[in-house]
Amino acid sequence: MYKKIFLSIMVVFFLAGVSHAKTINIAADCTWPPMEMMDTKKQCIGFTPELLHAIARAGGFEVNIINVAWDGIFAGLGGGKYDMIASSVSITEQRKKRMDFSDPYFEVKQGVVVKKDSAIKTYADLAGKNVGAQIGTTGFFAAKKIKDGKVKSYNTVGLAMADLAAGRVDAVLADDAVATDFALNSHEYKDSMRLAFLLKSDTPEYLGFAFPKGSKENLELVNKGLAAVKASGEYDKIFAKWFVTQE
Amino acid sequence: MNDNGKGPIHIGDGAAIPRKKDFGLFNAWWLAFFGAIGLLFYLCFFKKDPYFEILTYLADGIPVTIKVTVLAICLALVLGLITGLGRISRIPVINLIASFYVEVVRGIPLLVQLFYLYYGMANFVKWHLFFDKIVNFFIGTVLGLDPGPIIESAVIVGLKNFLPEDILSASVAMGICYGAYMGEVFRAGITSIDKGQIEASRSIGFNRKQTMFCVILPQAWRTILPPVGNEFIALLKDSSLVSILAVSDILRRGTEYNSIYYVTFETYTVVALIYLLITLVLSKGVSIMENKLNYYDKRH
Repeated sequence: MYKKIFLSIMVVFFLAGVSHAKTINIAADCTWPPMEMMDTKKQCIGFTPELLHAIARAGGFEVNIINVAWDGIFAGLGGGKYDMIASSVSITEQRKKRMDFSDPYFEVKQGVVVKKDSAIKTYADLAGKNVGAQIGTTGFFAAKKIKDGKVKSYNTVGLAMADLAAGRVDAVLADDAVATDFALNSHEYKDSMRLAFLLKSDTPEYLGFAFPKGSKENLELVNKGLAAVKASGEYDKIFAKWFVTQE
Repeated sequence: MNDNGKGPIHIGDGAAIPRKKDFGLFNAWWLAFFGAIGLLFYLCFFKKDPYFEILTYLADGIPVTIKVTVLAICLALVLGLITGLGRISRIPVINLIASFYVEVVRGIPLLVQLFYLYYGMANFVKWHLFFDKIVNFFIGTVLGLDPGPIIESAVIVGLKNFLPEDILSASVAMGICYGAYMGEVFRAGITSIDKGQIEASRSIGFNRKQTMFCVILPQAWRTILPPVGNEFIALLKDSSLVSILAVSDILRRGTEYNSIYYVTFETYTVVALIYLLITLVLSKGVSIMENKLNYYDKRH
């Protein structure tokens, strides 16, 4: 008797499991406004999460976004702790050797944030200055190339901004969307900081979703969803929602 | 007592004849030290890629770690002595302040304190500006001279470059935390001295201050120094926490290297070996010091 009940329960669970859509576990470092950030309800919100939900709807799968510290996010992907990273990861040659990337979904430049009264106006002015950036980001790599620059790396870009406000660094490098958000929109810093300029780059820098090497199935699923979202015009709607108020 | 010629002659403390200490090569310290040096040497010169590159990348983090540690130790010693004396003070207000400091600092995790003092207080306390203000006040206002030449002098500018704002802030935060622990060590050391010493000192006419500084503290030193040495080692290791504040110490440089090239195992192997070497040197120093101090306590 009990055996039958037990078996029927098992069957129900099994069927329920099969009928459920595939879930992709996604790591995001939600300290990168307005791309990914935490809201007051401890939910990861921003451009990327919203885009992900749209892609999931179009692609017919479910997403589970996990907040992971940036420092170590790639190690976690390699260790199989989650299926993909959607955390404004720029597609670089160095990273391509270690992981697979989806189609690009966003173009970024590097923005330089300085204090309002700072004399830094061009790239040449950065020489020999203390420059802050989040560790392991393309902003950090760009900062390391500055002549005679003293680079300080931070675990989150917010701490770099706090140190800029405290005067321990002279400039902070970050993706332009993030730099703009801090310098123009943030409540704490918009009166004391400004976006000095954008770094010129020979090759355009794109963001992509990162997957462990060889995870073809998820990659195709996400690429298909992304293409559908772009085609349906939903991408532009989400873009407008998060980036129109910048100017 | 043993004057019948059969047993060893027991002479009181202070006059024992020291036995030669044996320096065997195969104790744990030598094994760890030469093991670490050998491994580091092997990795850097025979597996050059990427170990040598990691070492050169980390190199400028080593002086930062040492600077933070030394500065924090100096501050912690001063704060510890003041707190320790404050904790045994008979004046209620001083006692209360010292006890309050110890209770508060011991009750907050070091990492939280570091964040609080480094980022939280950054808008109020800027050490370089603070220094300038003090010079301005004493030279400018009190003495009525021009403070400019002193503030802009090569020595001061060099010192400021040697100890930038971030290292200074981080060391102060470390020092404040360890000052409380050190205070407890000092207090325990002072109270461990036999009451008879105080009574004897007072009865031959020393006042309270003289008793403390000429009789009690010199004896308490011997009890205090070994645990203080251990605190030094603990502080050195805890100084890796300042890497979270973006101070470019060994660990932070290692994390940076790893964030560029993604060679986790190799990077942290080198980081661990460097920390181990520095700590071993320090612990050797502490144990030499302890041996010197225990010289007369041993039954030889």
